[in-house]
Amino acid sequence: MTTTQVESKNVSFDGIGMTFDSDTGRTEAVRNVTASIAEGQFVSVIGPSGCGKSTLLDMACGLLVPSHGRVTIDGEIVTGPRKDTAMVFQEDSTLHWRSVLDNVAFGLEIKHVDKDERLEKARAMIELVGLKGFEKHRPGQLSGGMRQRVAIARALATDPRILLMDEPFGALDQQTRQFIGRELLKIWEQTHNRVLFVTHDIQEAIYLSDQIWVMSARPSVVREVIDVGLPRPRPSGTHAMARFKELEDHLWSIIKEEAAKTLGHGTDAT
Amino acid sequence: MLVALVLLLEAATRTGWIDRNQMVAPSEILAHVAAIIPSTHFVTDLTRTSVTILAAFALGVLGGVPLGVLLWRVRVIGRVLEPFIVTGYAMPTLLFYPILVAVLGLNAGPIIVIASTMALIPIALTTMVALGDVKPVLHKLARSVDASRRQQYFKVLFPAATPLIFPGIKLGFIYAVIGTIAMEFILASKGLGFRAGFMYRELYVADMWAYIAIVVVFSIAVNSALGLAERVIRRDML
Repeated sequence: MTTTQVESKNVSFDGIGMTFDSDTGRTEAVRNVTASIAEGQFVSVIGPSGCGKSTLLDMACGLLVPSHGRVTIDGEIVTGPRKDTAMVFQEDSTLHWRSVLDNVAFGLEIKHVDKDERLEKARAMIELVGLKGFEKHRPGQLSGGMRQRVAIARALATDPRILLMDEPFGALDQQTRQFIGRELLKIWEQTHNRVLFVTHDIQEAIYLSDQIWVMSARPSVVREVIDVGLPRPRPSGTHAMARFKELEDHLWSIIKEEAAKTLGHGTDAT
Repeated sequence: MLVALVLLLEAATRTGWIDRNQMVAPSEILAHVAAIIPSTHFVTDLTRTSVTILAAFALGVLGGVPLGVLLWRVRVIGRVLEPFIVTGYAMPTLLFYPILVAVLGLNAGPIIVIASTMALIPIALTTMVALGDVKPVLHKLARSVDASRRQQYFKVLFPAATPLIFPGIKLGFIYAVIGTIAMEFILASKGLGFRAGFMYRELYVADMWAYIAIVVVFSIAVNSALGLAERVIRRDML
Protein backbone atom coordinates (compact mmCIF):
# COMPACT_ATOMS: atom_id res chain seq x y z
CA MET A 1 0.00 0.00 0.00
CA THR A 2 2.04 2.92 1.20
CA THR A 3 5.72 2.95 0.43
CA THR A 4 7.75 2.77 3.58
CA GLN A 5 8.58 6.18 4.94
CA VAL A 6 11.67 5.03 6.73
CA GLU A 7 13.31 8.21 7.83
CA SER A 8 10.26 10.44 7.67
CA LYS A 9 9.64 12.53 10.72
CA ASN A 10 5.93 12.42 10.42
CA VAL A 11 2.96 11.53 12.47
CA SER A 12 0.99 9.58 9.93
CA PHE A 13 -2.47 8.21 9.70
CA ASP A 14 -2.37 5.45 7.07
CA GLY A 15 -5.71 4.24 5.84
CA ILE A 16 -7.25 4.67 9.25
CA GLY A 17 -10.70 3.34 9.92
CA MET A 18 -12.62 2.95 13.13
CA THR A 19 -15.78 1.05 13.79
CA PHE A 20 -17.40 1.03 17.20
CA ASP A 21 -19.52 -1.78 18.54
CA SER A 22 -22.17 -0.94 21.02
CA ASP A 23 -25.54 -2.14 22.29
CA THR A 24 -27.18 -0.21 19.50
CA GLY A 25 -25.09 -1.82 16.78
CA ARG A 26 -21.99 -1.02 14.83
CA THR A 27 -21.01 2.52 14.02
CA GLU A 28 -18.39 3.22 11.42
CA ALA A 29 -17.06 6.50 12.70
CA VAL A 30 -14.03 6.80 10.46
CA ARG A 31 -13.82 5.11 7.09
CA ASN A 32 -10.53 6.14 5.57
CA VAL A 33 -8.14 8.77 6.75
CA THR A 34 -4.70 9.11 5.29
CA ALA A 35 -2.83 12.23 6.25
CA SER A 36 0.28 13.26 8.08
CA ILE A 37 1.75 15.98 10.21
CA ALA A 38 5.29 17.12 9.59
CA GLU A 39 7.69 18.19 12.31
CA GLY A 40 6.87 21.50 13.85
CA GLN A 41 3.55 21.69 12.06
CA PHE A 42 0.31 22.87 13.68
CA VAL A 43 -2.63 21.00 12.19
CA SER A 44 -6.29 21.48 13.02
CA VAL A 45 -9.01 18.96 12.41
CA ILE A 46 -12.45 20.34 11.81
CA GLY A 47 -15.73 18.72 10.89
CA PRO A 48 -19.35 18.10 11.85
CA SER A 49 -20.25 16.49 15.16
CA GLY A 50 -19.73 12.79 15.33
CA CYS A 51 -17.26 12.66 12.46
CA GLY A 52 -14.58 11.04 14.55
CA LYS A 53 -12.25 13.98 15.13
CA SER A 54 -11.64 12.98 18.73
CA THR A 55 -11.28 9.39 17.60
CA LEU A 56 -8.27 10.39 15.50
CA LEU A 57 -6.66 11.93 18.55
CA ASP A 58 -7.40 8.88 20.66
CA MET A 59 -5.76 6.72 18.04
CA ALA A 60 -2.67 8.93 17.85
CA CYS A 61 -2.47 8.77 21.62
CA GLY A 62 -2.74 5.01 21.66
CA LEU A 63 -5.97 5.02 23.63
CA LEU A 64 -7.80 3.39 20.75
CA VAL A 65 -6.57 0.84 18.27
CA PRO A 66 -7.86 1.52 14.76
CA SER A 67 -10.13 -1.09 13.21
CA HIS A 68 -7.93 -0.92 10.15
CA GLY A 69 -4.93 1.06 9.10
CA ARG A 70 -2.33 2.34 11.49
CA VAL A 71 -0.87 5.41 13.08
CA THR A 72 2.86 5.90 13.02
CA ILE A 73 4.96 8.38 14.92
CA ASP A 74 8.32 8.99 13.27
CA GLY A 75 8.13 5.54 11.76
CA GLU A 76 7.00 3.69 14.91
CA ILE A 77 3.57 2.15 14.84
CA VAL A 78 1.34 3.23 17.69
CA THR A 79 0.06 0.17 19.52
CA GLY A 80 -0.92 1.59 22.87
CA PRO A 81 -0.50 4.58 25.15
CA ARG A 82 2.92 6.14 24.94
CA LYS A 83 5.07 8.42 26.96
CA ASP A 84 6.05 10.51 23.96
CA THR A 85 2.58 11.83 23.22
CA ALA A 86 0.61 14.21 25.37
CA MET A 87 -3.03 15.13 25.31
CA VAL A 88 -4.99 18.13 26.49
CA PHE A 89 -8.69 17.45 27.04
CA GLN A 90 -11.74 19.62 26.74
CA GLU A 91 -12.88 18.93 30.28
CA ASP A 92 -10.84 20.07 33.21
CA SER A 93 -8.27 17.36 33.81
CA THR A 94 -6.27 18.95 36.57
CA LEU A 95 -5.74 16.89 39.69
CA HIS A 96 -7.49 18.91 42.33
CA TRP A 97 -5.61 17.46 45.27
CA ARG A 98 -2.25 18.52 43.89
CA SER A 99 -0.68 21.94 43.62
CA VAL A 100 -0.18 23.51 40.21
CA LEU A 101 3.49 22.58 40.40
CA ASP A 102 2.75 18.93 41.13
CA ASN A 103 0.11 18.90 38.43
CA VAL A 104 2.53 20.11 35.81
CA ALA A 105 5.17 17.66 37.03
CA PHE A 106 2.69 14.78 36.84
CA GLY A 107 3.70 13.41 33.43
CA LEU A 108 7.35 13.53 34.40
CA GLU A 109 6.54 11.81 37.68
CA ILE A 110 4.93 8.98 35.74
CA LYS A 111 8.11 8.72 33.71
CA HIS A 112 10.07 8.38 36.96
CA VAL A 113 12.06 11.52 36.31
CA ASP A 114 14.16 12.53 39.29
CA LYS A 115 12.37 14.94 41.62
CA ASP A 116 14.62 17.97 41.34
CA GLU A 117 14.76 17.67 37.61
CA ARG A 118 11.05 17.38 37.15
CA LEU A 119 10.20 20.25 39.47
CA GLU A 120 12.66 22.44 37.64
CA LYS A 121 11.12 21.55 34.32
CA ALA A 122 7.66 22.08 35.76
CA ARG A 123 8.59 25.55 36.94
CA ALA A 124 9.88 26.40 33.49
CA MET A 125 6.65 25.25 31.90
CA ILE A 126 4.56 27.14 34.42
CA GLU A 127 6.42 30.28 33.49
CA LEU A 128 6.02 29.51 29.80
CA VAL A 129 2.25 29.31 30.06
CA GLY A 130 2.12 32.53 32.05
CA LEU A 131 1.27 31.09 35.44
CA LYS A 132 4.39 32.07 37.29
CA GLY A 133 3.60 32.72 40.92
CA PHE A 134 0.79 30.20 41.00
CA GLU A 135 2.95 27.14 41.66
CA LYS A 136 1.55 26.49 45.12
CA HIS A 137 -2.07 27.18 44.21
CA ARG A 138 -4.67 24.48 43.94
CA PRO A 139 -6.65 24.08 40.72
CA GLY A 140 -9.78 24.84 42.69
CA GLN A 141 -8.45 28.35 43.17
CA LEU A 142 -7.95 28.94 39.46
CA SER A 143 -10.25 29.95 36.65
CA GLY A 144 -11.16 27.58 33.83
CA GLY A 145 -8.70 29.20 31.46
CA MET A 146 -5.91 28.95 33.97
CA ARG A 147 -6.65 25.29 34.58
CA GLN A 148 -6.38 24.61 30.89
CA ARG A 149 -3.04 26.35 30.91
CA VAL A 150 -1.97 24.00 33.68
CA ALA A 151 -3.05 21.10 31.49
CA ILE A 152 -1.07 22.53 28.58
CA ALA A 153 1.99 23.04 30.78
CA ARG A 154 1.69 19.47 31.98
CA ALA A 155 1.50 18.19 28.42
CA LEU A 156 4.47 20.25 27.26
CA ALA A 157 6.61 19.28 30.24
CA THR A 158 7.16 15.81 28.84
CA ASP A 159 8.52 17.17 25.51
CA PRO A 160 6.04 15.13 23.52
CA ARG A 161 6.67 14.27 19.89
CA ILE A 162 3.13 15.37 19.25
CA LEU A 163 0.75 17.48 21.27
CA LEU A 164 -2.83 16.32 20.92
CA MET A 165 -5.51 18.82 21.80
CA ASP A 166 -9.16 17.81 21.94
CA GLU A 167 -11.20 20.99 21.76
CA PRO A 168 -9.18 22.30 24.69
CA PHE A 169 -10.91 25.66 24.76
CA GLY A 170 -14.40 24.36 24.08
CA ALA A 171 -15.50 24.65 27.68
CA LEU A 172 -14.32 28.24 28.01
CA ASP A 173 -16.24 31.38 27.23
CA GLN A 174 -15.69 33.19 23.95
CA GLN A 175 -13.38 35.89 25.25
CA THR A 176 -11.20 33.53 27.25
CA ARG A 177 -11.06 31.27 24.26
CA GLN A 178 -9.65 33.93 21.98
CA PHE A 179 -7.21 35.11 24.59
CA ILE A 180 -5.92 31.68 25.39
CA GLY A 181 -5.70 30.86 21.67
CA ARG A 182 -3.27 33.72 21.26
CA GLU A 183 -1.41 32.56 24.34
CA LEU A 184 -1.15 29.08 22.90
CA LEU A 185 0.43 30.44 19.74
CA LYS A 186 2.93 32.43 21.76
CA ILE A 187 3.87 29.26 23.59
CA TRP A 188 3.98 27.27 20.39
CA GLU A 189 6.27 29.83 18.72
CA GLN A 190 8.78 28.88 21.39
CA THR A 191 8.36 25.13 21.55
CA HIS A 192 7.27 24.35 17.98
CA ASN A 193 5.77 21.00 18.91
CA ARG A 194 3.86 19.07 16.33
CA VAL A 195 0.23 19.76 17.20
CA LEU A 196 -2.97 18.03 16.21
CA PHE A 197 -5.79 20.29 17.31
CA VAL A 198 -9.45 19.33 17.18
CA THR A 199 -11.98 22.10 17.16
CA HIS A 200 -15.47 23.12 16.13
CA ASP A 201 -14.47 26.71 15.79
CA ILE A 202 -13.59 27.62 12.22
CA GLN A 203 -11.96 30.92 13.12
CA GLU A 204 -9.90 29.24 15.78
CA ALA A 205 -8.72 26.62 13.32
CA ILE A 206 -7.67 29.21 10.75
CA TYR A 207 -6.01 31.46 13.29
CA LEU A 208 -3.96 28.77 14.97
CA SER A 209 -2.92 26.34 12.27
CA ASP A 210 -0.58 25.79 9.36
CA GLN A 211 -2.90 23.21 7.87
CA ILE A 212 -6.53 22.24 8.31
CA TRP A 213 -8.00 18.80 7.70
CA VAL A 214 -11.67 19.00 6.91
CA MET A 215 -13.53 15.84 7.82
CA SER A 216 -16.66 14.67 6.13
CA ALA A 217 -19.72 13.43 7.96
CA ARG A 218 -19.64 9.93 9.33
CA PRO A 219 -18.32 7.49 8.09
CA SER A 220 -15.64 10.07 7.68
CA VAL A 221 -12.80 10.65 5.29
CA VAL A 222 -10.60 13.67 4.99
CA ARG A 223 -12.57 15.70 2.55
CA GLU A 224 -10.00 18.40 2.07
CA VAL A 225 -6.56 19.38 3.29
CA ILE A 226 -6.14 23.14 3.36
CA ASP A 227 -2.86 24.99 3.72
CA VAL A 228 -3.66 28.11 5.64
CA GLY A 229 -0.82 30.25 4.33
CA LEU A 230 -1.18 33.16 6.72
CA PRO A 231 1.96 34.91 8.00
CA ARG A 232 3.69 33.74 11.14
CA PRO A 233 3.77 35.07 13.78
CA ARG A 234 0.15 36.04 13.31
CA PRO A 235 -0.16 39.83 13.08
CA SER A 236 -2.87 41.60 15.01
CA GLY A 237 -5.09 42.14 11.99
CA THR A 238 -5.17 38.50 10.98
CA HIS A 239 -8.92 38.06 11.32
CA ALA A 240 -9.53 40.89 8.87
CA MET A 241 -7.19 39.62 6.16
CA ALA A 242 -8.64 38.66 2.82
CA ARG A 243 -7.17 35.21 2.97
CA PHE A 244 -8.68 34.67 6.40
CA LYS A 245 -12.15 35.53 5.18
CA GLU A 246 -11.71 33.46 2.07
CA LEU A 247 -10.83 30.43 4.18
CA GLU A 248 -13.62 31.13 6.58
CA ASP A 249 -16.26 31.26 3.86
CA HIS A 250 -14.91 28.16 2.20
CA LEU A 251 -14.80 26.16 5.42
CA TRP A 252 -18.24 27.34 6.40
CA SER A 253 -19.79 26.08 3.22
CA ILE A 254 -18.12 22.67 3.48
CA ILE A 255 -19.04 22.25 7.12
CA LYS A 256 -22.62 23.26 6.47
CA GLU A 257 -22.83 20.69 3.73
CA GLU A 258 -21.38 17.93 5.87
CA ALA A 259 -23.44 18.91 8.90
CA ALA A 260 -26.58 18.72 6.78
CA LYS A 261 -25.66 15.19 5.82
CA THR A 262 -25.24 14.31 9.47
CA LEU A 263 -28.61 15.73 10.42
CA GLY A 264 -30.24 14.26 7.35
CA HIS A 265 -29.07 10.76 8.10
CA GLY A 266 -30.05 10.63 11.74
CA THR A 267 -28.74 7.23 12.79
CA ASP A 268 -26.07 5.81 10.59
CA ALA A 269 -27.01 4.33 7.27
CA THR A 270 -24.42 2.59 5.10
CA MET B 1 -31.31 20.22 74.55
CA LEU B 2 -29.13 17.34 75.63
CA VAL B 3 -28.77 18.92 79.04
CA ALA B 4 -32.53 19.24 79.33
CA LEU B 5 -32.96 15.59 78.45
CA VAL B 6 -30.41 14.54 81.05
CA LEU B 7 -32.08 16.64 83.71
CA LEU B 8 -35.44 15.20 82.79
CA LEU B 9 -34.06 11.73 83.15
CA GLU B 10 -32.56 12.61 86.52
CA ALA B 11 -35.87 13.83 87.79
CA ALA B 12 -37.86 10.96 86.36
CA THR B 13 -35.70 8.28 87.92
CA ARG B 14 -35.40 9.91 91.30
CA THR B 15 -39.10 10.28 91.64
CA GLY B 16 -39.63 6.67 90.68
CA TRP B 17 -41.54 7.58 87.56
CA ILE B 18 -39.18 5.32 85.66
CA ASP B 19 -38.64 1.91 87.17
CA ARG B 20 -35.33 1.53 88.98
CA ASN B 21 -34.85 -1.87 87.45
CA GLN B 22 -34.57 -0.44 83.96
CA MET B 23 -33.05 2.99 84.21
CA VAL B 24 -31.20 4.87 86.88
CA ALA B 25 -30.49 8.53 87.40
CA PRO B 26 -27.69 10.02 85.27
CA SER B 27 -25.93 11.18 88.40
CA GLU B 28 -25.83 7.64 89.68
CA ILE B 29 -24.57 6.40 86.33
CA LEU B 30 -21.83 8.97 86.48
CA ALA B 31 -20.88 7.80 89.96
CA HIS B 32 -20.62 4.23 88.75
CA VAL B 33 -18.55 5.28 85.76
CA ALA B 34 -16.20 7.07 88.09
CA ALA B 35 -15.90 3.87 90.11
CA ILE B 36 -15.33 1.66 87.11
CA ILE B 37 -12.62 3.57 85.33
CA PRO B 38 -9.87 3.28 87.93
CA SER B 39 -10.58 -0.42 88.46
CA THR B 40 -7.99 -2.91 87.22
CA HIS B 41 -10.30 -4.91 85.04
CA PHE B 42 -11.39 -1.78 83.17
CA VAL B 43 -8.05 -1.42 81.48
CA THR B 44 -8.16 -5.05 80.38
CA ASP B 45 -11.70 -4.68 79.08
CA LEU B 46 -10.98 -1.44 77.28
CA THR B 47 -7.88 -2.87 75.69
CA ARG B 48 -9.64 -6.02 74.65
CA THR B 49 -12.55 -4.15 73.09
CA SER B 50 -10.35 -1.53 71.41
CA VAL B 51 -8.05 -4.12 69.94
CA THR B 52 -10.99 -6.13 68.67
CA ILE B 53 -12.60 -3.09 67.11
CA LEU B 54 -9.38 -1.91 65.50
CA ALA B 55 -8.56 -5.37 64.18
CA ALA B 56 -12.05 -5.76 62.76
CA PHE B 57 -11.84 -2.30 61.20
CA ALA B 58 -8.40 -2.93 59.74
CA LEU B 59 -9.55 -6.20 58.18
CA GLY B 60 -12.64 -4.47 56.91
CA VAL B 61 -10.54 -1.85 55.14
CA LEU B 62 -7.87 -4.26 53.90
CA GLY B 63 -10.51 -6.58 52.54
CA GLY B 64 -13.17 -4.07 51.61
CA VAL B 65 -11.16 -1.68 49.47
CA PRO B 66 -9.65 -4.34 47.18
CA LEU B 67 -13.04 -6.01 46.94
CA GLY B 68 -14.56 -2.68 45.98
CA VAL B 69 -11.90 -2.22 43.33
CA LEU B 70 -12.62 -5.68 41.96
CA LEU B 71 -16.35 -5.05 41.89
CA TRP B 72 -15.76 -1.83 40.03
CA ARG B 73 -13.14 -3.07 37.62
CA VAL B 74 -14.72 -6.26 36.52
CA ARG B 75 -18.11 -4.86 35.97
CA VAL B 76 -19.58 -8.22 35.20
CA ILE B 77 -18.58 -9.54 38.59
CA GLY B 78 -19.84 -6.37 40.18
CA ARG B 79 -23.26 -6.64 38.62
CA VAL B 80 -23.58 -10.29 39.46
CA LEU B 81 -22.23 -10.13 42.99
CA GLU B 82 -23.72 -6.90 44.22
CA PRO B 83 -27.17 -8.24 45.06
CA PHE B 84 -25.57 -11.12 46.93
CA ILE B 85 -23.34 -8.82 48.89
CA VAL B 86 -26.11 -6.48 49.81
CA THR B 87 -28.29 -9.40 50.84
CA GLY B 88 -25.49 -11.06 52.76
CA TYR B 89 -25.07 -7.82 54.55
CA ALA B 90 -28.52 -8.11 55.97
CA MET B 91 -27.85 -11.64 57.09
CA PRO B 92 -26.98 -12.14 60.72
CA THR B 93 -23.39 -13.26 60.22
CA LEU B 94 -23.13 -13.89 63.91
CA LEU B 95 -24.79 -17.20 63.22
CA PHE B 96 -21.41 -18.36 61.97
CA TYR B 97 -19.99 -17.91 65.43
CA PRO B 98 -20.01 -21.60 66.42
CA ILE B 99 -18.04 -22.56 63.30
CA LEU B 100 -15.56 -19.79 63.91
CA VAL B 101 -15.06 -20.85 67.52
CA ALA B 102 -14.34 -24.36 66.32
CA VAL B 103 -11.73 -22.99 63.95
CA LEU B 104 -10.24 -20.10 65.88
CA GLY B 105 -10.89 -20.96 69.48
CA LEU B 106 -12.77 -19.30 72.26
CA ASN B 107 -11.10 -15.90 72.05
CA ALA B 108 -11.45 -12.59 70.30
CA GLY B 109 -10.81 -14.24 66.92
CA PRO B 110 -14.39 -15.15 65.99
CA ILE B 111 -15.61 -11.75 67.09
CA ILE B 112 -12.99 -10.00 64.99
CA VAL B 113 -13.96 -12.07 61.97
CA ILE B 114 -17.66 -11.39 62.31
CA ALA B 115 -17.26 -7.70 63.06
CA SER B 116 -14.88 -7.34 60.14
CA THR B 117 -17.41 -8.78 57.70
CA MET B 118 -19.86 -6.21 58.95
CA ALA B 119 -17.32 -3.46 58.32
CA LEU B 120 -16.10 -4.85 55.02
CA ILE B 121 -19.32 -4.68 53.10
CA PRO B 122 -20.11 -0.96 53.30
CA ILE B 123 -16.46 -0.20 52.61
CA ALA B 124 -16.44 -2.41 49.52
CA LEU B 125 -19.69 -1.03 48.16
CA THR B 126 -18.67 2.57 48.80
CA THR B 127 -15.30 2.02 47.15
CA MET B 128 -16.99 0.53 44.13
CA VAL B 129 -19.37 3.44 43.76
CA ALA B 130 -16.69 6.04 44.47
CA LEU B 131 -14.38 4.71 41.79
CA GLY B 132 -17.24 4.68 39.33
CA ASP B 133 -17.88 8.30 40.17
CA VAL B 134 -14.42 9.55 39.26
CA LYS B 135 -14.57 11.91 36.28
CA PRO B 136 -14.00 9.94 33.05
CA VAL B 137 -11.47 12.53 31.90
CA LEU B 138 -9.20 11.53 34.79
CA HIS B 139 -9.32 7.89 33.72
CA LYS B 140 -8.42 9.04 30.25
CA LEU B 141 -5.62 11.22 31.53
CA ALA B 142 -4.11 8.40 33.54
CA ARG B 143 -4.14 6.10 30.54
CA SER B 144 -2.94 8.72 28.09
CA VAL B 145 0.28 9.37 30.02
CA ASP B 146 0.94 5.63 29.87
CA ALA B 147 0.83 5.26 33.62
CA SER B 148 1.21 1.74 34.95
CA ARG B 149 -1.84 0.15 36.57
CA ARG B 150 -0.39 0.87 39.97
CA GLN B 151 0.33 4.48 39.11
CA GLN B 152 -3.17 4.92 37.76
CA TYR B 153 -4.71 3.70 40.98
CA PHE B 154 -2.47 5.38 43.50
CA LYS B 155 -1.72 8.64 41.74
CA VAL B 156 -5.07 9.34 40.15
CA LEU B 157 -8.02 7.08 40.88
CA PHE B 158 -7.78 6.63 44.65
CA PRO B 159 -6.98 10.27 45.40
CA ALA B 160 -9.84 11.31 43.16
CA ALA B 161 -12.21 8.85 44.82
CA THR B 162 -11.10 9.43 48.42
CA PRO B 163 -13.64 12.11 49.33
CA LEU B 164 -16.33 9.61 48.44
CA ILE B 165 -14.63 6.54 49.89
CA PHE B 166 -14.12 8.12 53.26
CA PRO B 167 -17.77 8.14 54.38
CA GLY B 168 -17.82 4.44 53.61
CA ILE B 169 -14.81 3.94 55.79
CA LYS B 170 -16.44 5.85 58.62
CA LEU B 171 -19.48 3.67 58.26
CA GLY B 172 -17.27 0.60 58.24
CA PHE B 173 -15.78 1.71 61.51
CA ILE B 174 -19.17 2.23 63.07
CA TYR B 175 -20.16 -1.28 62.08
CA ALA B 176 -16.93 -2.64 63.48
CA VAL B 177 -17.89 -1.04 66.80
CA ILE B 178 -21.47 -2.27 66.68
CA GLY B 179 -20.40 -5.75 65.68
CA THR B 180 -17.79 -5.99 68.39
CA ILE B 181 -19.93 -4.67 71.21
CA ALA B 182 -22.93 -6.75 70.22
CA MET B 183 -20.88 -9.92 69.97
CA GLU B 184 -19.14 -9.22 73.24
CA PHE B 185 -22.47 -8.60 74.87
CA ILE B 186 -23.80 -11.96 73.86
CA LEU B 187 -20.84 -14.26 73.63
CA ALA B 188 -17.61 -12.97 75.10
CA SER B 189 -15.91 -13.29 78.44
CA LYS B 190 -13.93 -10.07 78.31
CA GLY B 191 -14.30 -6.58 76.99
CA LEU B 192 -16.63 -3.64 77.49
CA GLY B 193 -19.51 -5.29 75.67
CA PHE B 194 -19.16 -8.33 77.85
CA ARG B 195 -19.24 -6.22 81.02
CA ALA B 196 -22.37 -4.47 79.85
CA GLY B 197 -23.95 -7.84 79.16
CA PHE B 198 -22.80 -9.28 82.44
CA MET B 199 -24.24 -6.36 84.38
CA TYR B 200 -27.45 -6.72 82.44
CA ARG B 201 -27.78 -10.37 83.24
CA GLU B 202 -26.91 -9.86 86.89
CA LEU B 203 -29.39 -6.97 87.10
CA TYR B 204 -26.72 -4.44 88.09
CA VAL B 205 -28.63 -1.80 86.25
CA ALA B 206 -26.53 1.17 87.21
CA ASP B 207 -23.31 -0.58 86.22
CA MET B 208 -24.84 -1.69 82.96
CA TRP B 209 -25.74 1.84 82.05
CA ALA B 210 -22.33 2.97 83.20
CA TYR B 211 -20.70 0.61 80.69
CA ILE B 212 -23.09 1.65 77.98
CA ALA B 213 -22.18 5.25 78.67
CA ILE B 214 -18.48 4.42 78.41
CA VAL B 215 -18.98 2.66 75.09
CA VAL B 216 -21.02 5.58 73.76
CA VAL B 217 -18.36 8.10 74.76
CA PHE B 218 -15.67 5.91 73.23
CA SER B 219 -17.58 5.66 69.95
CA ILE B 220 -18.27 9.36 69.80
CA ALA B 221 -14.61 10.10 70.45
CA VAL B 222 -13.36 7.88 67.66
CA ASN B 223 -16.05 8.99 65.27
CA SER B 224 -15.13 12.60 65.91
CA ALA B 225 -11.52 11.78 65.21
CA LEU B 226 -12.55 10.20 61.92
CA GLY B 227 -14.70 13.21 61.14
CA LEU B 228 -11.75 15.46 61.74
CA ALA B 229 -9.60 13.32 59.46
CA GLU B 230 -12.29 13.53 56.82
CA ARG B 231 -12.39 17.31 56.99
CA VAL B 232 -8.63 17.50 56.65
CA ILE B 233 -8.73 15.15 53.67
CA ARG B 234 -11.56 17.05 52.04
CA ARG B 235 -9.72 20.29 52.45
CA ASP B 236 -6.62 18.84 50.87
CA MET B 237 -8.34 16.95 48.15
CA LEU B 238 -11.10 19.10 46.88
